Amino acid sequence: MKKIALALVCLYGISFAGDYDATQGQMLSLSCASCHGTDGKSTAVTPYIAGMGKTTMYKTLLDYKYGRKTGTIMQKHAKGFSDDELEQVSYYFSKVQR
Amino acid sequence: MNRRNFNKLVVSSFALSLAACSSLTSVSTLPAKKKRVVVVGGGFGGATAAKYLKKFSPDTEVILIEQNEEYYTCPFGNTVIAGMNDIEYIKHDYKTLASKYKIQVIHAKVKKVDGTTSSVILENGDIIPFHRAIVSPGIDFKYEKGYEEGSELHSPHAYKAGAQTSLLRKQLEDMKDGGTYVMVAPTNPFRCPPGPYERISLVAHYLKNNKPKSKIVILDQKKKFSKQGLFQEGWEDLYPDMIDWRSVEFGGKVLKVDPIKRILTTDEGDVKADVLNYIPSQKAGKLAFDSGLTKGDWCPINTKTFESKLVKNVHVIGDASIATKMPKSGFSANSQAKVAALQISRLLQKMPVINPPKLANTCYSLLSPTYGISVAAVYEAHEDKIIKVKGAGGLSPMAASKDFRMQEAEFAVGWYKNQMADIFK
Repeated sequence: MKKIALALVCLYGISFAGDYDATQGQMLSLSCASCHGTDGKSTAVTPYIAGMGKTTMYKTLLDYKYGRKTGTIMQKHAKGFSDDELEQVSYYFSKVQR
Repeated sequence: MNRRNFNKLVVSSFALSLAACSSLTSVSTLPAKKKRVVVVGGGFGGATAAKYLKKFSPDTEVILIEQNEEYYTCPFGNTVIAGMNDIEYIKHDYKTLASKYKIQVIHAKVKKVDGTTSSVILENGDIIPFHRAIVSPGIDFKYEKGYEEGSELHSPHAYKAGAQTSLLRKQLEDMKDGGTYVMVAPTNPFRCPPGPYERISLVAHYLKNNKPKSKIVILDQKKKFSKQGLFQEGWEDLYPDMIDWRSVEFGGKVLKVDPIKRILTTDEGDVKADVLNYIPSQKAGKLAFDSGLTKGDWCPINTKTFESKLVKNVHVIGDASIATKMPKSGFSANSQAKVAALQISRLLQKMPVINPPKLANTCYSLLSPTYGISVAAVYEAHEDKIIKVKGAGGLSPMAASKDFRMQEAEFAVGWYKNQMADIFK
Protein backbone atom coordinates (compact mmCIF):
# COMPACT_ATOMS: atom_id res chain seq x y z
CA MET A 1 0.00 0.00 0.00
CA LYS A 2 2.83 2.39 0.96
CA LYS A 3 4.57 1.53 -2.29
CA ILE A 4 1.50 2.39 -4.29
CA ALA A 5 1.13 5.68 -2.47
CA LEU A 6 4.78 6.48 -3.09
CA ALA A 7 4.41 5.60 -6.77
CA LEU A 8 1.39 7.87 -7.05
CA VAL A 9 3.25 10.73 -5.38
CA CYS A 10 6.17 10.25 -7.80
CA LEU A 11 3.90 10.12 -10.78
CA TYR A 12 2.17 13.27 -9.67
CA GLY A 13 5.50 14.95 -9.03
CA ILE A 14 6.82 14.10 -12.47
CA SER A 15 3.86 15.15 -14.57
CA PHE A 16 2.79 18.14 -12.46
CA ALA A 17 -0.73 17.24 -13.52
CA GLY A 18 -3.47 19.47 -12.17
CA ASP A 19 -6.96 18.14 -11.55
CA TYR A 20 -9.38 18.33 -14.41
CA ASP A 21 -12.00 21.05 -14.07
CA ALA A 22 -14.60 20.09 -16.66
CA THR A 23 -16.42 23.42 -16.52
CA GLN A 24 -13.26 25.41 -17.11
CA GLY A 25 -12.02 22.99 -19.79
CA GLN A 26 -15.26 23.22 -21.70
CA MET A 27 -15.45 27.02 -21.50
CA LEU A 28 -11.88 27.38 -22.75
CA SER A 29 -12.48 24.93 -25.62
CA LEU A 30 -15.29 26.99 -27.12
CA SER A 31 -13.29 29.41 -29.22
CA CYS A 32 -11.01 26.58 -30.49
CA ALA A 33 -14.06 25.09 -32.22
CA SER A 34 -14.43 28.05 -34.57
CA CYS A 35 -11.35 26.96 -36.54
CA HIS A 36 -10.91 23.34 -35.44
CA GLY A 37 -14.59 22.33 -35.65
CA THR A 38 -17.14 21.58 -32.92
CA ASP A 39 -15.28 19.65 -30.18
CA GLY A 40 -12.17 19.76 -32.37
CA LYS A 41 -13.60 17.48 -35.07
CA SER A 42 -12.14 19.32 -38.04
CA THR A 43 -13.20 18.32 -41.53
CA ALA A 44 -10.79 20.73 -43.19
CA VAL A 45 -7.06 21.52 -43.37
CA THR A 46 -7.11 22.82 -39.76
CA PRO A 47 -5.85 19.98 -37.50
CA TYR A 48 -8.31 17.48 -35.99
CA ILE A 49 -7.76 17.76 -32.24
CA ALA A 50 -10.66 15.73 -30.82
CA GLY A 51 -9.37 12.86 -28.69
CA MET A 52 -5.74 14.04 -28.92
CA GLY A 53 -3.57 12.75 -26.04
CA LYS A 54 -3.67 15.21 -23.16
CA THR A 55 0.10 15.22 -22.59
CA THR A 56 0.89 15.69 -26.29
CA MET A 57 -1.60 18.50 -26.69
CA TYR A 58 -0.49 20.26 -23.51
CA LYS A 59 3.17 20.04 -24.55
CA THR A 60 2.36 21.34 -28.04
CA LEU A 61 0.45 24.30 -26.63
CA LEU A 62 3.26 25.11 -24.18
CA ASP A 63 5.76 24.91 -27.07
CA TYR A 64 3.66 27.42 -29.01
CA LYS A 65 3.33 29.66 -25.98
CA TYR A 66 7.04 29.72 -25.11
CA GLY A 67 8.33 30.08 -28.67
CA ARG A 68 9.68 26.57 -29.08
CA LYS A 69 7.26 26.00 -31.95
CA THR A 70 5.84 28.51 -34.42
CA GLY A 71 2.89 28.23 -36.72
CA THR A 72 0.91 30.85 -38.59
CA ILE A 73 -1.47 31.66 -35.76
CA MET A 74 -1.42 29.14 -32.88
CA GLN A 75 1.35 30.88 -30.95
CA LYS A 76 -0.78 34.02 -30.88
CA HIS A 77 -3.66 32.12 -29.28
CA ALA A 78 -1.53 30.03 -26.90
CA LYS A 79 -0.02 33.20 -25.41
CA GLY A 80 -3.51 34.29 -24.36
CA PHE A 81 -3.83 31.52 -21.76
CA SER A 82 -2.11 30.57 -18.49
CA ASP A 83 -0.31 27.20 -18.36
CA ASP A 84 -3.16 25.91 -16.19
CA GLU A 85 -5.72 26.99 -18.76
CA LEU A 86 -3.77 25.27 -21.55
CA GLU A 87 -3.72 22.12 -19.45
CA GLN A 88 -7.47 22.29 -18.85
CA VAL A 89 -8.25 22.73 -22.52
CA SER A 90 -5.93 19.79 -23.31
CA TYR A 91 -7.85 17.65 -20.82
CA TYR A 92 -11.11 18.67 -22.47
CA PHE A 93 -10.12 17.66 -26.01
CA SER A 94 -8.45 14.43 -24.78
CA LYS A 95 -11.81 13.34 -23.37
CA VAL A 96 -13.78 13.90 -26.58
CA GLN A 97 -14.56 10.68 -28.48
CA ARG A 98 -12.62 10.78 -31.75
CA MET B 1 -43.75 36.27 -49.47
CA ASN B 2 -47.54 36.31 -49.07
CA ARG B 3 -49.32 35.35 -45.93
CA ARG B 4 -50.48 31.95 -47.14
CA ASN B 5 -46.93 30.93 -48.04
CA PHE B 6 -45.71 32.30 -44.76
CA ASN B 7 -48.27 30.26 -42.84
CA LYS B 8 -47.29 27.18 -44.80
CA LEU B 9 -43.71 27.82 -43.82
CA VAL B 10 -44.53 28.11 -40.20
CA VAL B 11 -46.61 24.95 -40.34
CA SER B 12 -43.84 23.08 -42.12
CA SER B 13 -41.29 24.21 -39.59
CA PHE B 14 -43.56 23.07 -36.79
CA ALA B 15 -44.17 19.81 -38.63
CA LEU B 16 -40.45 19.31 -38.84
CA SER B 17 -39.92 19.96 -35.18
CA LEU B 18 -42.96 17.91 -34.18
CA ALA B 19 -41.64 15.03 -36.22
CA ALA B 20 -38.36 15.45 -34.40
CA CYS B 21 -39.88 15.63 -30.93
CA SER B 22 -42.30 13.02 -29.74
CA SER B 23 -44.37 15.38 -27.64
CA LEU B 24 -46.56 18.15 -28.93
CA THR B 25 -45.29 21.54 -27.90
CA SER B 26 -47.19 24.76 -28.16
CA VAL B 27 -45.12 27.89 -28.44
CA SER B 28 -47.81 30.30 -27.24
CA THR B 29 -47.49 29.18 -23.61
CA LEU B 30 -44.40 28.41 -21.58
CA PRO B 31 -43.64 24.70 -21.14
CA ALA B 32 -44.78 23.42 -17.72
CA LYS B 33 -41.62 21.61 -16.63
CA LYS B 34 -38.92 23.01 -18.85
CA LYS B 35 -37.09 26.25 -19.32
CA ARG B 36 -37.44 27.99 -22.66
CA VAL B 37 -34.92 30.16 -24.46
CA VAL B 38 -35.98 31.98 -27.60
CA VAL B 39 -33.20 32.99 -29.98
CA VAL B 40 -34.01 35.73 -32.47
CA GLY B 41 -31.84 35.96 -35.59
CA GLY B 42 -30.18 33.01 -37.31
CA GLY B 43 -26.78 34.39 -38.28
CA PHE B 44 -23.33 33.67 -36.84
CA GLY B 45 -24.50 34.66 -33.36
CA GLY B 46 -28.06 33.34 -33.19
CA ALA B 47 -27.63 29.99 -34.94
CA THR B 48 -24.52 29.22 -32.85
CA ALA B 49 -26.30 30.17 -29.63
CA ALA B 50 -29.26 27.89 -30.44
CA LYS B 51 -27.02 24.91 -31.17
CA TYR B 52 -24.80 25.37 -28.12
CA LEU B 53 -27.76 25.95 -25.76
CA LYS B 54 -28.95 22.49 -26.71
CA LYS B 55 -25.43 21.12 -26.33
CA PHE B 56 -25.01 22.57 -22.82
CA SER B 57 -28.57 22.06 -21.68
CA PRO B 58 -30.44 19.42 -23.72
CA ASP B 59 -33.56 19.70 -21.55
CA THR B 60 -34.03 23.37 -22.31
CA GLU B 61 -36.57 24.14 -25.01
CA VAL B 62 -34.84 26.20 -27.67
CA ILE B 63 -36.79 28.13 -30.29
CA LEU B 64 -34.89 29.85 -33.11
CA ILE B 65 -36.78 32.54 -34.99
CA GLU B 66 -35.27 33.63 -38.30
CA GLN B 67 -37.16 35.32 -41.13
CA ASN B 68 -35.33 33.56 -43.98
CA GLU B 69 -35.13 29.86 -44.72
CA GLU B 70 -31.66 30.28 -46.13
CA TYR B 71 -28.72 32.21 -44.80
CA TYR B 72 -25.95 33.70 -46.90
CA THR B 73 -22.74 34.49 -45.05
CA CYS B 74 -20.86 37.75 -45.47
CA PRO B 75 -17.57 35.91 -44.87
CA PHE B 76 -16.46 34.42 -48.20
CA GLY B 77 -19.06 36.62 -49.93
CA ASN B 78 -16.12 38.50 -51.43
CA THR B 79 -14.98 35.30 -53.16
CA VAL B 80 -18.42 35.16 -54.81
CA ILE B 81 -18.20 38.80 -55.94
CA ALA B 82 -14.79 38.03 -57.48
CA GLY B 83 -16.11 34.90 -59.24
CA MET B 84 -13.97 32.45 -57.25
CA ASN B 85 -17.00 30.69 -55.78
CA ASP B 86 -20.65 30.32 -56.70
CA ILE B 87 -23.34 31.92 -54.50
CA GLU B 88 -24.26 28.39 -53.35
CA TYR B 89 -20.91 28.25 -51.57
CA ILE B 90 -22.07 30.80 -48.99
CA LYS B 91 -25.65 29.48 -48.65
CA HIS B 92 -26.65 27.59 -45.51
CA ASP B 93 -29.90 26.43 -43.91
CA TYR B 94 -31.39 25.45 -40.57
CA LYS B 95 -32.49 21.88 -41.30
CA THR B 96 -29.74 20.19 -39.29
CA LEU B 97 -30.32 22.46 -36.31
CA ALA B 98 -33.95 21.33 -36.30
CA SER B 99 -33.43 17.62 -36.96
CA LYS B 100 -30.21 16.86 -35.08
CA TYR B 101 -30.44 19.30 -32.18
CA LYS B 102 -34.22 19.40 -31.73
CA ILE B 103 -34.34 23.14 -32.05
CA GLN B 104 -37.74 24.51 -33.04
CA VAL B 105 -36.98 26.67 -36.04
CA ILE B 106 -39.66 29.20 -36.90
CA HIS B 107 -39.35 31.28 -40.05
CA ALA B 108 -41.17 34.50 -39.24
CA LYS B 109 -40.59 38.21 -38.86
CA VAL B 110 -40.29 39.49 -35.32
CA LYS B 111 -41.96 42.76 -34.40
CA LYS B 112 -40.25 43.16 -31.05
CA VAL B 113 -38.76 41.39 -28.09
CA ASP B 114 -40.81 42.58 -25.14
CA GLY B 115 -38.88 42.60 -21.88
CA THR B 116 -41.82 43.62 -19.72
CA THR B 117 -43.86 40.52 -20.63
CA SER B 118 -40.81 38.31 -21.38
CA SER B 119 -42.12 37.43 -24.80
CA VAL B 120 -41.32 37.70 -28.48
CA ILE B 121 -44.05 39.31 -30.56
CA LEU B 122 -44.20 38.27 -34.20
CA GLU B 123 -45.38 40.57 -36.98
CA ASN B 124 -48.41 38.31 -37.47
CA GLY B 125 -49.40 39.00 -33.84
CA ASP B 126 -48.33 35.64 -32.39
CA ILE B 127 -46.72 35.83 -28.97
CA ILE B 128 -43.98 33.49 -27.82
CA PRO B 129 -43.10 33.75 -24.11
CA PHE B 130 -39.62 32.90 -22.83
CA HIS B 131 -37.59 32.50 -19.66
CA ARG B 132 -34.64 34.09 -21.41
CA ALA B 133 -34.06 35.39 -24.90
CA ILE B 134 -30.97 35.86 -27.04
CA VAL B 135 -31.16 38.53 -29.71
CA SER B 136 -28.65 38.60 -32.54
CA PRO B 137 -30.09 41.25 -34.86
CA GLY B 138 -26.97 42.14 -36.84
CA ILE B 139 -26.65 45.56 -38.42
CA ASP B 140 -28.68 48.12 -40.29
CA PHE B 141 -27.48 51.02 -42.39
CA LYS B 142 -27.52 54.72 -41.67
CA TYR B 143 -28.93 56.22 -44.82
CA GLU B 144 -26.91 59.30 -45.61
CA LYS B 145 -25.73 61.82 -48.19
CA GLY B 146 -28.27 60.75 -50.82
CA TYR B 147 -27.90 56.99 -50.29
CA GLU B 148 -31.36 55.81 -49.26
CA GLU B 149 -33.30 52.62 -48.88
CA GLY B 150 -33.55 51.29 -52.45
CA SER B 151 -30.25 52.88 -53.54
CA GLU B 152 -28.66 49.45 -53.10
CA LEU B 153 -30.45 48.26 -56.24
CA HIS B 154 -28.28 50.66 -58.30
CA SER B 155 -25.20 51.02 -56.12
CA PRO B 156 -25.04 47.84 -54.02
CA HIS B 157 -23.58 47.82 -50.54
CA ALA B 158 -23.32 44.01 -50.64
CA TYR B 159 -22.77 44.25 -46.89
CA LYS B 160 -25.68 41.95 -46.14
CA ALA B 161 -25.09 38.84 -48.19
CA GLY B 162 -27.44 37.17 -50.68
CA ALA B 163 -29.13 39.07 -53.50
CA GLN B 164 -26.78 42.02 -52.93
CA THR B 165 -23.73 39.76 -53.34
CA SER B 166 -25.08 38.46 -56.67
CA LEU B 167 -25.94 41.97 -57.86
CA LEU B 168 -22.45 43.31 -57.24
CA ARG B 169 -21.00 40.22 -58.94
CA LYS B 170 -23.19 40.87 -61.99
CA GLN B 171 -22.27 44.57 -62.16
CA LEU B 172 -18.59 43.68 -61.98
CA GLU B 173 -19.01 41.12 -64.79
CA ASP B 174 -20.88 43.68 -66.91
CA MET B 175 -18.31 46.44 -66.36
CA LYS B 176 -16.19 47.29 -69.42
CA ASP B 177 -12.45 46.77 -69.44
CA GLY B 178 -11.04 50.15 -68.50
CA GLY B 179 -13.94 50.90 -66.15
CA THR B 180 -13.69 52.29 -62.64
CA TYR B 181 -14.88 50.35 -59.60
CA VAL B 182 -15.47 52.76 -56.71
CA MET B 183 -16.00 51.68 -53.13
CA VAL B 184 -17.12 54.00 -50.38
CA ALA B 185 -15.81 52.49 -47.13
CA PRO B 186 -17.71 53.35 -43.92
CA THR B 187 -16.79 55.15 -40.70
CA ASN B 188 -16.05 53.12 -37.55
CA PRO B 189 -17.50 51.05 -36.02
CA PHE B 190 -18.81 48.68 -38.65
CA ARG B 191 -19.22 44.97 -39.35
CA CYS B 192 -16.02 43.10 -40.30
CA PRO B 193 -13.32 45.83 -40.26
CA PRO B 194 -11.07 44.15 -42.88
CA GLY B 195 -14.07 43.17 -45.06
CA PRO B 196 -14.06 46.14 -47.48
CA TYR B 197 -10.33 45.77 -48.11
CA GLU B 198 -10.51 42.03 -48.71
CA ARG B 199 -13.25 42.82 -51.21
CA ILE B 200 -11.05 45.37 -52.97
CA SER B 201 -8.24 42.79 -53.15
CA LEU B 202 -10.40 40.09 -54.69
CA VAL B 203 -12.09 42.52 -57.10
CA ALA B 204 -8.57 43.53 -58.16
CA HIS B 205 -7.73 39.85 -58.63
CA TYR B 206 -10.73 39.46 -60.94
CA LEU B 207 -10.00 42.65 -62.87
CA LYS B 208 -6.30 41.86 -63.30
CA ASN B 209 -7.19 38.55 -64.94
CA ASN B 210 -10.23 39.71 -66.91
CA LYS B 211 -10.27 43.49 -67.37
CA PRO B 212 -6.70 44.61 -66.75
CA LYS B 213 -7.18 48.22 -67.93
CA SER B 214 -9.67 48.88 -65.12
CA LYS B 215 -9.07 50.94 -61.98
CA ILE B 216 -10.25 50.77 -58.39
CA VAL B 217 -10.84 53.81 -56.20
CA ILE B 218 -11.61 53.58 -52.48
CA LEU B 219 -13.14 56.67 -50.93
CA ASP B 220 -12.58 55.96 -47.25
CA GLN B 221 -14.55 57.81 -44.58
CA LYS B 222 -11.76 57.22 -42.05
CA LYS B 223 -8.03 57.88 -41.70
CA LYS B 224 -6.80 54.29 -41.49
CA PHE B 225 -8.11 50.75 -41.71
CA SER B 226 -7.70 47.23 -40.36
CA LYS B 227 -4.53 45.34 -41.39
CA GLN B 228 -3.62 48.39 -43.48
CA GLY B 229 0.12 47.68 -43.74
CA LEU B 230 -0.48 44.09 -44.80
CA PHE B 231 -3.14 45.01 -47.35
CA GLN B 232 -1.07 47.79 -48.89
CA GLU B 233 2.02 45.58 -49.04
CA GLY B 234 -0.03 42.91 -50.81
CA TRP B 235 -1.66 45.37 -53.22
CA GLU B 236 1.76 46.69 -54.24
CA ASP B 237 2.95 43.17 -54.83
CA LEU B 238 -0.11 41.70 -56.56
CA TYR B 239 -1.92 44.65 -58.16
CA PRO B 240 0.57 47.48 -58.70
CA ASP B 241 -1.00 50.77 -59.85
CA MET B 242 -4.54 49.37 -59.84
CA ILE B 243 -5.83 50.47 -56.42
CA ASP B 244 -6.15 54.13 -55.39
CA TRP B 245 -7.01 54.39 -51.67
CA ARG B 246 -8.03 57.90 -50.58
CA SER B 247 -8.36 58.51 -46.86
CA VAL B 248 -10.98 60.88 -45.48
CA GLU B 249 -8.28 63.52 -45.11
CA PHE B 250 -6.96 63.27 -48.64
CA GLY B 251 -9.82 63.30 -51.11
CA GLY B 252 -11.81 60.40 -49.69
CA LYS B 253 -14.51 62.36 -47.89
CA VAL B 254 -17.86 61.91 -49.64
CA LEU B 255 -20.21 64.90 -49.38
CA LYS B 256 -23.00 63.62 -51.61
CA VAL B 257 -23.85 60.61 -53.71
CA ASP B 258 -26.11 60.06 -56.72
CA PRO B 259 -26.56 56.29 -56.52
CA ILE B 260 -28.39 56.05 -59.86
CA LYS B 261 -25.88 58.01 -61.95
CA ARG B 262 -23.08 56.63 -59.75
CA ILE B 263 -21.51 60.04 -59.14
CA LEU B 264 -19.84 60.97 -55.87
CA THR B 265 -19.18 64.52 -54.80
CA THR B 266 -16.02 64.83 -52.71
CA ASP B 267 -14.24 67.89 -51.38
CA GLU B 268 -11.74 67.40 -54.20
CA GLY B 269 -14.27 67.17 -57.04
CA ASP B 270 -16.63 64.59 -58.53
CA VAL B 271 -15.80 60.92 -58.95
CA LYS B 272 -17.71 58.92 -61.57
CA ALA B 273 -18.03 55.19 -61.06
CA ASP B 274 -18.89 52.42 -63.51
CA VAL B 275 -19.61 50.17 -60.55
CA LEU B 276 -20.36 51.87 -57.25
CA ASN B 277 -20.09 49.76 -54.12
CA TYR B 278 -21.40 52.12 -51.43
CA ILE B 279 -21.07 50.74 -47.89
CA PRO B 280 -22.98 53.10 -45.56
CA SER B 281 -22.21 53.73 -41.91
CA GLN B 282 -23.90 51.28 -39.57
CA LYS B 283 -25.95 50.79 -36.42
CA ALA B 284 -27.59 47.87 -34.64
CA GLY B 285 -30.35 46.02 -36.51
CA LYS B 286 -33.83 47.59 -36.39
CA LEU B 287 -35.16 44.92 -34.03
CA ALA B 288 -32.71 46.09 -31.36
CA PHE B 289 -34.16 49.62 -31.55
CA ASP B 290 -37.76 48.37 -31.63
CA SER B 291 -37.08 46.26 -28.53
CA GLY B 292 -35.51 49.06 -26.48
CA LEU B 293 -32.10 47.38 -26.43
CA THR B 294 -30.06 50.30 -27.76
CA LYS B 295 -28.24 53.24 -26.28
CA GLY B 296 -26.97 55.39 -29.12
CA ASP B 297 -26.41 53.16 -32.13
CA TRP B 298 -25.58 49.89 -30.35
CA CYS B 299 -26.64 47.63 -27.47
CA PRO B 300 -24.98 47.89 -24.04
CA ILE B 301 -24.46 44.50 -22.38
CA ASN B 302 -23.12 42.85 -19.26
CA THR B 303 -19.80 41.61 -20.62
CA LYS B 304 -19.77 38.34 -18.69
CA THR B 305 -23.19 37.09 -19.77
CA PHE B 306 -24.15 39.36 -22.70
CA GLU B 307 -27.39 40.18 -20.88
CA SER B 308 -28.72 43.56 -21.95
CA LYS B 309 -28.10 46.39 -19.51
CA LEU B 310 -31.48 47.80 -20.48
CA VAL B 311 -33.81 44.79 -20.65
CA LYS B 312 -33.67 41.98 -18.09
CA ASN B 313 -33.41 38.35 -19.26
CA VAL B 314 -32.64 39.42 -22.82
CA HIS B 315 -29.11 38.83 -24.07
CA VAL B 316 -27.63 40.59 -27.10
CA ILE B 317 -24.75 39.08 -29.06
CA GLY B 318 -22.90 39.71 -32.32
CA ASP B 319 -22.44 42.90 -34.32
CA ALA B 320 -25.23 44.77 -32.51
CA SER B 321 -23.67 44.42 -29.04
CA ILE B 322 -21.11 46.76 -27.50
CA ALA B 323 -18.41 44.19 -26.89
CA THR B 324 -15.38 46.46 -27.26
CA LYS B 325 -12.47 45.46 -27.61
CA MET B 326 -13.87 42.64 -29.72
CA PRO B 327 -14.38 43.58 -33.36
CA LYS B 328 -17.77 43.15 -35.01
CA SER B 329 -16.97 39.90 -36.82
CA GLY B 330 -18.59 36.55 -37.51
CA PHE B 331 -15.93 34.84 -35.42
CA SER B 332 -16.60 37.21 -32.50
CA ALA B 333 -20.35 36.58 -32.75
CA ASN B 334 -19.72 32.82 -32.73
CA SER B 335 -17.45 33.12 -29.68
CA GLN B 336 -19.91 35.40 -27.85
CA ALA B 337 -22.82 33.08 -28.67
CA LYS B 338 -21.15 30.12 -27.00
CA VAL B 339 -20.27 32.11 -23.89
CA ALA B 340 -23.80 33.50 -23.68
CA ALA B 341 -25.29 30.01 -24.16
CA LEU B 342 -23.02 28.56 -21.47
CA GLN B 343 -23.80 31.33 -18.97
CA ILE B 344 -27.55 31.11 -19.67
CA SER B 345 -27.56 27.35 -19.21
CA ARG B 346 -25.90 27.91 -15.81
CA LEU B 347 -28.27 30.71 -14.84
CA LEU B 348 -31.29 28.55 -15.71
CA GLN B 349 -29.90 25.86 -13.39
CA LYS B 350 -29.24 28.49 -10.69
CA MET B 351 -25.50 27.91 -10.92
CA PRO B 352 -22.98 30.77 -10.68
CA VAL B 353 -21.77 32.15 -14.01
CA ILE B 354 -18.23 31.38 -15.13
CA ASN B 355 -15.99 34.25 -14.16
CA PRO B 356 -14.20 35.47 -16.14
CA PRO B 357 -15.17 33.86 -19.45
CA LYS B 358 -12.60 33.94 -22.23
CA LEU B 359 -13.32 34.69 -25.86
CA ALA B 360 -11.34 34.91 -29.07
CA ASN B 361 -11.31 36.27 -32.57
CA THR B 362 -9.44 35.32 -35.71
CA CYS B 363 -10.09 37.17 -38.95
CA TYR B 364 -8.59 35.83 -42.14
CA SER B 365 -8.59 37.95 -45.29
CA LEU B 366 -7.75 36.80 -48.79
CA LEU B 367 -5.79 39.10 -51.08
CA SER B 368 -5.90 36.47 -53.81
CA PRO B 369 -6.87 32.78 -53.82
CA THR B 370 -3.31 31.94 -52.72
CA TYR B 371 -2.51 34.92 -50.51
CA GLY B 372 -4.00 35.07 -47.00
CA ILE B 373 -3.39 37.30 -43.97
CA SER B 374 -4.85 37.23 -40.49
CA VAL B 375 -5.33 39.01 -37.22
CA ALA B 376 -6.04 37.23 -33.95
CA ALA B 377 -6.75 38.10 -30.33
CA VAL B 378 -7.76 36.44 -27.06
CA TYR B 379 -10.16 38.27 -24.76
CA GLU B 380 -11.26 38.10 -21.15
CA ALA B 381 -14.53 39.57 -19.92
CA HIS B 382 -13.90 41.75 -16.86
CA GLU B 383 -16.33 43.97 -14.99
CA ASP B 384 -17.94 46.22 -17.57
CA LYS B 385 -15.33 45.65 -20.25
CA ILE B 386 -13.81 42.98 -22.42
CA ILE B 387 -10.03 43.24 -22.38
CA LYS B 388 -7.49 41.93 -24.87
CA VAL B 389 -5.13 39.52 -23.14
CA LYS B 390 -1.70 41.18 -23.24
CA GLY B 391 1.06 39.45 -25.18
CA ALA B 392 -1.39 37.36 -27.18
CA GLY B 393 -2.78 37.82 -30.68
CA GLY B 394 -1.48 40.06 -33.42
CA LEU B 395 -1.18 40.37 -37.17
CA SER B 396 0.51 38.22 -39.79
CA PRO B 397 4.12 39.32 -40.27
CA MET B 398 5.02 41.85 -42.94
CA ALA B 399 7.29 40.66 -45.77
CA ALA B 400 6.40 37.00 -45.21
CA SER B 401 7.20 34.31 -47.79
CA LYS B 402 4.80 33.23 -50.51
CA ASP B 403 4.48 29.87 -48.75
CA PHE B 404 3.39 31.59 -45.54
CA ARG B 405 0.72 33.62 -47.38
CA MET B 406 -0.39 30.45 -49.18
CA GLN B 407 -0.70 28.58 -45.86
CA GLU B 408 -2.85 31.36 -44.40
CA ALA B 409 -5.07 31.27 -47.50
CA GLU B 410 -5.55 27.53 -46.92
CA PHE B 411 -6.32 28.10 -43.24
CA ALA B 412 -8.85 30.77 -44.24
CA VAL B 413 -10.75 28.19 -46.28
CA GLY B 414 -10.34 25.68 -43.45
CA TRP B 415 -11.74 28.17 -40.97
CA TYR B 416 -14.79 28.81 -43.15
CA LYS B 417 -15.56 25.12 -43.57
CA ASN B 418 -15.21 24.29 -39.87
CA GLN B 419 -16.92 27.49 -38.78
CA MET B 420 -19.96 26.74 -40.92
CA ALA B 421 -20.15 23.21 -39.50
CA ASP B 422 -19.78 24.63 -35.98
CA ILE B 423 -22.81 26.85 -36.60
CA PHE B 424 -25.14 24.89 -38.85
CA LYS B 425 -24.20 21.17 -38.58
